[in-house]
Parts: sequence; C-alpha cells; structure tokens
Amino acid sequence: MANQEVPSWLTNAEEYQPQADRDSYITKSVLSLSSVLSRLRIDDGAETLFSPSAPVKIIFGLGGILLVSLSQNFFFVLIMLAGVLVRACLLPREALARVVSTAGAATMLAFVIMLPAALLGQPQAALTMGGKACTSTGIAMEVALTTPSAQLTSALRAFRVPNIVILTIDLALRSIVRLGEVALEILDALTLRSIGRNRDKTGSLGGVGGVLLIKAAIAAQTTHDAMRCRGFEGDYQVSKSPSLRTIDLAWVIALALLVALFIYLQGLA
Amino acid sequence: MHIPENYLSPSTCAVTTVAMIPVWATAVRKVRQSVPQEKMPLLGVAAAFCFLSMMFNIPLPGGTTGHAVCGTLIAILFGPWAAVLAVSIALAIQAVFFGDGGILAFGANCLNMAFVLPFVGYAVYSWLKERLKGDNGQLIAAGIGSYVGLNAAALCAALEFGIQPLLFTDAAGNALYCPYPLSVAIPAMMLGHLTVAGLAEAGFTVGILAFLRNTMPSFGIEELSSGDNKTAPVIGLVCALIAATPLGLLATGDAWGEWGLEDLAELVGYEPAGMANGWEWSSFMPDYSIGALPEWIGYILSAIIGAALLILIFRLLANTSKKTVDFG
Repeated sequence: MANQEVPSWLTNAEEYQPQADRDSYITKSVLSLSSVLSRLRIDDGAETLFSPSAPVKIIFGLGGILLVSLSQNFFFVLIMLAGVLVRACLLPREALARVVSTAGAATMLAFVIMLPAALLGQPQAALTMGGKACTSTGIAMEVALTTPSAQLTSALRAFRVPNIVILTIDLALRSIVRLGEVALEILDALTLRSIGRNRDKTGSLGGVGGVLLIKAAIAAQTTHDAMRCRGFEGDYQVSKSPSLRTIDLAWVIALALLVALFIYLQGLA
Repeated sequence: MHIPENYLSPSTCAVTTVAMIPVWATAVRKVRQSVPQEKMPLLGVAAAFCFLSMMFNIPLPGGTTGHAVCGTLIAILFGPWAAVLAVSIALAIQAVFFGDGGILAFGANCLNMAFVLPFVGYAVYSWLKERLKGDNGQLIAAGIGSYVGLNAAALCAALEFGIQPLLFTDAAGNALYCPYPLSVAIPAMMLGHLTVAGLAEAGFTVGILAFLRNTMPSFGIEELSSGDNKTAPVIGLVCALIAATPLGLLATGDAWGEWGLEDLAELVGYEPAGMANGWEWSSFMPDYSIGALPEWIGYILSAIIGAALLILIFRLLANTSKKTVDFG
C-alpha cells in the first residue's frame, strides 16, 4: 500500500481562540425561567392532621383577608397576625422564606405609601396599613403554598366556577411547567452553540419563541386527544354531597368565632 | 433593666451602640461556625424562652419591679456568642414592636443584657462546673452563674444611669437626662437584683435547664444527658409560659429607671430638659397592651407574636448557617 501524505491542513495546530463574549442575555433568561419553575414546583401542600380540605381553606383564607381589610380595630389585625406567624413557624424552610419575602415586600410597600401620613404626625396609620398588608399577604401565601395546585383547581369547582375556566387554569399551570422545561433545554442548546462573539444575540429570541409556540401547539393537541381518549367531556366532577370532615367543621367554627370577634371588636373601635 | 428612650444621652447611646457593632459582627461569624443548621430553630426556641422570661415582672424591694433574662441559659446551651445574638434579637423585637426599651438605647440594653450578662454568667458557670461534681453540679453552677450574670448586667445599667447627671446638666445644674447619680442608681438597682431578680433568673435558668435535661437532652449544641428526646414537652413548656405571662401583671409599679416622664417629674421635682424634648418611637403595642382591652389579653398576644417572630427569624437564619454531616 502506497504511503499517502497527511494533508497539510490536518497537520496544522488548531489555534482557533473564540473571542470572549458576555452571554448575559441567555444567563438571565435561564435564571428567570429556573426561578419561575422552582416556584411552581414547590409542593408544600402535604396534608397534616389539622389541615382542612381545600375549599374550606380557601373560604377561611378569603374570609380572613376580608375581615383584616375591613377591621377598624387594630387588635383584630394583631390576632390574625399572631395566627399567621404561628402557622409560618410550622412551614418548611423554603416556603417560609417565600412567605416572609412576599409579606415583607408588601409591608414595606405599604409603609412607603403611608410614609407621608407618618411624617405629618400620624405614624399609627402607617403601622396599621403595614400590619394589614403583612397579615393579608401572609394569609394568601400560606393558603397558596400549603395547597397543591390540583386541589386548588378542584376546589374552584365547589365554588361553581365554570368548567372552561377551571380547565384553562389547570392546563395553563401544567403547560407552564412543561414549556418552561422545554425553554430551558433550548437555551442550554443555544449556550452550547454560541461560541465566539455574537453581535445579534436577540436574533435567537424569535427562534426560541417560535420553537416554544410549535411545541405548545403540539402539546395542547396531544393533551386534548389524551383527555378525549380517557373519556373527559370537559366536565369536572365533584362529589354531589361532600362529606364535611370533623377537622373542616372545626375550621368553619373557628371562622364563625373570628367573625363574632370581629363584630364585637368593631363595636369597641 | 430595659433602659427606656431618652434616659441616656444620645452620645452615651452612640458610644454603647458603636461598642456593640464588633460584638454583633463576631457573634454572627461565631454562630455561623459553631451552631449547626439543624440547631438554629432550637436557638430560636431558646430566644423565645428569653423573651417570655422577660415578660414575668417580679415585685422588688422599694416598690419597683424586675425580671429574669435567661441569657446565661442560652450561653450554656449554645455558647455565649449565640446568646449575644439571641438576646439582641429578642431585645430588638421588644423595642420595635412593644416599646419595651428604647430604640436609641438599644445598644446600651444589648451591652448589658446581651453581652455582659451571658459572658459573665457563662464564665462563672464554666469555672464552677469544673469544680462541682455530681449530677447536680451543672445545675448549681448554672444557678450561680446566671445570678452573677444578671447582677453584673444590672450594675452596668446602674453605671450608665448614674453617669448621666455627672456628664450632662443644664446651666441651672439640673440633669438633662437620667437625674439619679451613681450614689443613688447603684444601690437602687442592685438592691432589687441582688435580692429577688437574681434569684428569679437563677430559678428560671435552673428550672428550664433541668426540664431540658429530662425531656430533650440534645436541645443545645452538646448533649445535656443520655436520655431520650421528646419534642412535645418543650413545645408544651413554650405554650405554658405564653399562657402564664399575665402573671407578670400581678407586680404593680414600674421597674427602676423605667418611669414615664410625668412620673419621673413627680419624683425629682422637675422634667429633665433632654428627656422632655427627646425622640419617642411609636410602637405596635406600647407596654404590651392594646387600647382599652384588658391588659392580660395584650400580654398573651404579645407573647405569641414575640415567640413566633423569634422562632421564625432563627429558622430563616438557619439558611446562612453551615450544614453538618454526621459520619458516626
């Protein structure tokens, strides 16, 4: 066999050095997507011995927020705040951090809005608004974080919310997680292929969006087909005669007592 | 022992706060290194013990009141630097939410109760523990250590009160801030603390320590005994202390050096100018009370909010603490 010479281009040392480039656009997109996904994936809705069912929890939460907002007696707000704090102490650490950060931000915003009142000699107004904002946000966050999303949507049916609304919310929640994962994969691929300086970074935005749109359309069609195959006719079934558990009854009585306390304290205010 | 707003001059407050800054910084660093992540919520429970014990006012000789602090207890369980942090946060919550202790005087209060008290108490405890053998040696050392620690803190507070009329007077010679000199402040503060408040501190410390040894020996950093751990009794103790806080209302009268301006003017015959024109913080629940409602309701609600806030803060601080792996 005759000796063949190695082509000269193959013997040359590889000296390609890609120019350094900032990829903050991709990094920021990946980070924001990851944070949204991690929030949606947190599932602290594990039931404990004292957990009411989702509809009762939502009624209690909404009732609590309404009473706190209407209360003219600060003592009532403090009672609710004490309840929110005690419940927060029992939350898992990640959920606790989210409750504190959200409620803290809402409280600070209320303080800033009410700052002129405090400077004009009404500091109590700022404290009242801050306390109310903290308590209301805390209740909302605790209800949301301790109830799995599937239970939340099924609880909506118990409140006579139309099927189409529940279906939309349910599918949207699931699709956001799935499409978010797809978006992360696309951005990963983009990061691996973006070597060297790229002056047209935002050009890839259309590509990512387009792929996601196609994937979303395929996913929607597949989900629709799968649901039809399993006999889903767009109707969310709820038990006709929901059995009220003992713990639910206890929570309903607690809400009734809170309303009674609210009315009594309003009389004193 | 909580120095209220305007009893100390702004310069005294500034000096004590500046002195505390490196102490707080060191405490944060030491706690991160020495307290494992899983123990941080328990440090919050210990801080809750401290907060609740400060709500039990005890009548002292001379018609004033005092209270325990439990700073030495936290130092024994988690180390003195953890006690600095725990007592400081408890004092901050008391000052901001309940108006107990001044915002400007926060540094001075921390110097007395969060720094001097746990360090002196822990030093005495450590020295005695080496020399006292037997099952009860630890408890006796803890009792004596906490007694000495509380009195050291009371002496510091008395010194801070007492130097005010020496340093800050108006043209007529009247005091601008606390009007009582060292010759009055030291005996007045120490009489009550050497006799009753110190014993109350020792009682709280020994009682809670003995309870933890029997129910949850792994509560602190080191094992207190070789028994089994039970969480329910500790939660029960916190709830019982919260329910019992209205007992603190049985002691009538103010603590020495914590009078309102009008009461002080009646006692000394004039309103110190610096105090009359001083700054006042508007807290959520001044003196743990709410409007016209019964005081005991305000006390229980304050106890729940304070204890929950402390546990919550230390659970959040656990994120910054180191994780430990037991390879044993």
